[in-house]
Amino acid sequence: MRRIVSSLVDGRGFDILLVGVTMLFLLVMAGLPLVYNVLMSFQQVDMFTLGAWVRPWAGWDNYRAVLSQPEFPLVMRNTAVFVFGSIAGQFVLGFAFALFFMLRFPFAATIRGLFLVSWVMPGLVVGAIWSWMLAGDYGVVNAILSGMGLVDRPLFWKSDPGLSIWAVTVANIWLGLAFNMLLLSVGLAAIPRDLYEAAELDGAGAAQRFATITLPMMRSTIGAVLALGLIYTLQQFDLFPAITEGGPANSSNVAQYWAWQWSFQVFDFAKGATVSVMMLAFVLVAAAAYVWSTRSEVRG
Amino acid sequence: MTPQIEISGVDKHYGAYHALKDINLTIPKGRFVALVGPSGCGKSTLLRSIAGLETISSGTMRIAGESMAGVPPRRRDVAMVFQSYALYPHMTVLGNLTYSLRFKQVAKAEARRRADEVASTIGLTQLLHRYPRELSGGQRQRVAMGRAIIREPKAFLFDEPLSNLDAALRVHMRMEIRALHDRLNATSVYVTHDQIEAMTMADHVVVMRDGRIEQQGEPLELYDRPANRFVAGFIGSPAMNFVEGTVEPDGASVRLGLPGGPVLPLGRRAEPGRPVTVGLRPEHLRVDPAGAQMRLTVRAVESTGSMTYTTTESEPELMLVAQGRGGLGPGDAAPLCIDPGNIHLFDRETGLTL
Repeated sequence: MRRIVSSLVDGRGFDILLVGVTMLFLLVMAGLPLVYNVLMSFQQVDMFTLGAWVRPWAGWDNYRAVLSQPEFPLVMRNTAVFVFGSIAGQFVLGFAFALFFMLRFPFAATIRGLFLVSWVMPGLVVGAIWSWMLAGDYGVVNAILSGMGLVDRPLFWKSDPGLSIWAVTVANIWLGLAFNMLLLSVGLAAIPRDLYEAAELDGAGAAQRFATITLPMMRSTIGAVLALGLIYTLQQFDLFPAITEGGPANSSNVAQYWAWQWSFQVFDFAKGATVSVMMLAFVLVAAAAYVWSTRSEVRG
Repeated sequence: MTPQIEISGVDKHYGAYHALKDINLTIPKGRFVALVGPSGCGKSTLLRSIAGLETISSGTMRIAGESMAGVPPRRRDVAMVFQSYALYPHMTVLGNLTYSLRFKQVAKAEARRRADEVASTIGLTQLLHRYPRELSGGQRQRVAMGRAIIREPKAFLFDEPLSNLDAALRVHMRMEIRALHDRLNATSVYVTHDQIEAMTMADHVVVMRDGRIEQQGEPLELYDRPANRFVAGFIGSPAMNFVEGTVEPDGASVRLGLPGGPVLPLGRRAEPGRPVTVGLRPEHLRVDPAGAQMRLTVRAVESTGSMTYTTTESEPELMLVAQGRGGLGPGDAAPLCIDPGNIHLFDRETGLTL
């Protein structure tokens, strides 16, 4: 008895307690729904068996059904455009802004802080604002484009099937820009100044310093930002109901919105679960990349 | 012959702060110059200005005869060894050594040959494929040196390169850097706050304070004939003792503001009645019962075995240092004397040597 008490007091038993509590929390709040979701994707689910664990086994039927949906290729293509377009836009612009704010000018840190406004705003609000700005007839984006002479008639961002996915992607780039900028700024700030000075004395010009010092020193940060960007983009849901609702004719529908439509508009929970499990497999790859890139950090 | 580095009338302002004040310094080729002074004296700013990492506000700076106005660091052909070493953490030792050669269109094989050559000069051959994080402090220091040597630059700039090493290694590297300088027939500017490093390594020592050069010259010249009280106190270890005093009416001796008001003969003429500060180096004060000029009570005796450091109880206290053990203990009255030639006199107001 005294041993148990002292092991709790001297820390080792207490450690186990702490680990136990966290694991229990994770298991109940994240593990269980996850397992339930995966389980559901292999079952036949209808309105009458919603509350049950045990349902008729469906094997791979749900997966086959999802894959043979006529809109499946379109949704996958849209998801790819949305994810890669968003990540590329957020990363390139975020890096550019991060580099810009490394220049020491008055109020640089304060102005950089203001950029976070985009990040703290609810997605639905951001979606509503962009929806308004991208409106075909009275939107400010069209006004600017035609004012600059770039287009001769208004672009119908939300109702043109060729543009709708880009409308959501642009809004998402704006939404994620600050987060990318912030993480990349932290990475940039961690590079010692004298490395740049040494490189400068060694004869490296600005572009060469960027290629030989900044990029390699930022490798782990860039890996983390890209992996997190992928995860957050696949999580992005709010913008779709606010801007296009996946339309017109699924032209801006993506996997995460499609899964929601299956479950909560068609009430086919099995297919909704199936789509989300397919996404989960993909995100796991990104998560693994993230863990790997933060593990192999370069430390001087 | 054109001096390798020529600095004249250089000033540097950071906003309202005047970091360098009218700096004039000429460094012939092959010279080893130490910039020394307390922190904030401007020695690092001067070094970084030579490198081009700081822009000078006015004055001219020439390297090998060419004006450096508007010349960026990468076109100055000078190499710098940083206090932090600033090794590229994502490159091996080989990568660090050959980094500068990339920008000079040196062929890979030639770069490798030169890296091998430099590595064998400074004993890094076994470490070429290691990363900086896998090296000890001393090894990193060598890589930083190697990175400078491989470039065969017009000048080597050292920014307190030894301050991150332990004492024993520091003494060793001191000699090694100096030997390397001689072997390469290099021109070196070496910043340090450690006057011993400056005295032992350099041909020419520049003592700075508050952005100004207080005195420059050969190390022993600075020791023997300091221009003012600051240089006198800065050069030499332990530091010179300073005592207020007044020149006696005869103009040939000085009365010290110490218990008993001892009078020391000067062996030269001085203005009678003039208030002065008298400088007495600890190693020049001798214990001599026969020829005692003053008797001061001993407060503490510290011995390292070979040397004995004695402090007196007087106000101001005097430190004296002698070889061997000495027979004094705390509370004893120490009979002290000093040769007239070793007495330094400074103006009490301006601090200038009289």
